[in-house]
Amino acid sequence: MTDVELLFRTYNAALVRYLTRRLGDRDWAEEVAQETFVRALRQTSIQNERAWLFAVATNLVRDEARKDMRRRKHLALLAEQEREEVVEPEETTLERAQEAAMARKAVDALAERDRLALLMREEGLDYNEIAEALQLSPGSVGTTLSRARRRLVESYEALQKNREEREKNAAS
Amino acid sequence: MQHLDEGTIHSWLDGALSADEAVRVEVHVKECPQCAAAVAEARGFIAGSSRILTALDNAPRGVMPAAVARKRVDSIVWRVAATVLVVAAGTLVVVRNRGADEQLMSAKTERVTLSSQPSAATEQAPPGGGPASTSTAGTSPKAAGGGAPAIARSGVSAQRTTALAGQPAGVSGLAGAPTSQAPTFAPSRVAAVAAMDAAAEPERLKVVGSPQRIGANVTLYEVAPGDTVTLTESIPISLNSIVVRGAIRAPMAQQSVGKSAAAPSKGRADAATTVAQDSQRAGGISLAAPAVSAPIASQVEMANQLNAITWTDPITRTTLTLSGRMSEARLQELRIRIDRERAAAAAKKNP
Repeated sequence: MTDVELLFRTYNAALVRYLTRRLGDRDWAEEVAQETFVRALRQTSIQNERAWLFAVATNLVRDEARKDMRRRKHLALLAEQEREEVVEPEETTLERAQEAAMARKAVDALAERDRLALLMREEGLDYNEIAEALQLSPGSVGTTLSRARRRLVESYEALQKNREEREKNAAS
Repeated sequence: MQHLDEGTIHSWLDGALSADEAVRVEVHVKECPQCAAAVAEARGFIAGSSRILTALDNAPRGVMPAAVARKRVDSIVWRVAATVLVVAAGTLVVVRNRGADEQLMSAKTERVTLSSQPSAATEQAPPGGGPASTSTAGTSPKAAGGGAPAIARSGVSAQRTTALAGQPAGVSGLAGAPTSQAPTFAPSRVAAVAAMDAAAEPERLKVVGSPQRIGANVTLYEVAPGDTVTLTESIPISLNSIVVRGAIRAPMAQQSVGKSAAAPSKGRADAATTVAQDSQRAGGISLAAPAVSAPIASQVEMANQLNAITWTDPITRTTLTLSGRMSEARLQELRIRIDRERAAAAAKKNP
């Protein structure tokens, strides 16, 4: 297994999930993730792999760069293999879809930096890695995360409450 | 020492502080009820935001590449959700079995009992405080005990687990509360909760969900990865009581049915809110997921090659149905395992 394959197997799942949560589109997320690994291939050495990958992926989302089709195809093949080993999720019910829509809204309502820090933290990045990827000072990561979490939960709860009230009004 | 700011609390809970700082925070949290409440609240936000973000993973195309990583979180979320549902369902049935007049009263009393449950850390919470104090009461056994220091030292994954770990403890504490009012029922629920926790161990059947259906307890067991069976337990008692009441006191019955059976919107939400508050915000949010999945069972039944076996539980006299995409022989084999686990749960109830 080449180094980039190892990197791919180690981080692809987390990176794709991070990007999916960020972009709301899995195909797009996978495309960006693959582009990130292609970039990794060109590096001679990467000090902190995870922070590097998340930083590059984040930048790619910004730039929407699309290059190097051939290598991406190879990685797409790897992703295909990985997908086959994976369990299909349950049917999406209406309510679950509504939940996802509310979550999407609540996440979109966050400031970009708060959102990215939180999504990276959810993928297991530590404070130093988040600081490195987002070019923050490590001391401010706690404040950023606490603000992101509070706002996310509060706006989700507000959306939930709105929906309940709407349903109540519709029922009466 | 000054009160802790929110950023420091999150850094501490995320295990991002240096050893010295972590000790300093830990000592302060033990002494300062206000900061202890803030820590409990922060735990709620951490667990809550994780749960919200998980909802984003059902994005288009419906394939999850992160099977391994996700499973860890999911099994916890499911277990917590299942626990909350079981407690909520228990409360419902208890409430239904009482007279309609008594019902409101007792529901209120229960709620009061729940929130005023004596616990090690109630003393940490400011008396009569807002939502923050409620969450302290729920999470306190962990926050006050060894849980918090463990977080400070451990890594990422341990931190996440601990953020949720307060819940089962909180819930079983709560489940104990109604005991005085319903001595026969509540303990069995506690036992069931314990059994469900135990069920997540290897060798045992793993409970992956308990979609709610009126008049039945539905449990989804995972036999092998991706291979689930559905256990349906009918609850004739509750249905009878509705019918009887309907015949004798029609208006009352309507009221009580509206209150208790129309659970999806109100009844369950009420029962759940109490539990959810104490079991941190994550519990409250996660409720939506299992509650929603009622249609799943019926969808599964429509699928091909679906077999089902039915038998009567000798102890509870309820009808159990086990269905899944596998041979009847395999279902029978699973039935034996399920029976054994149910018996173990019952034995815990009446030692």
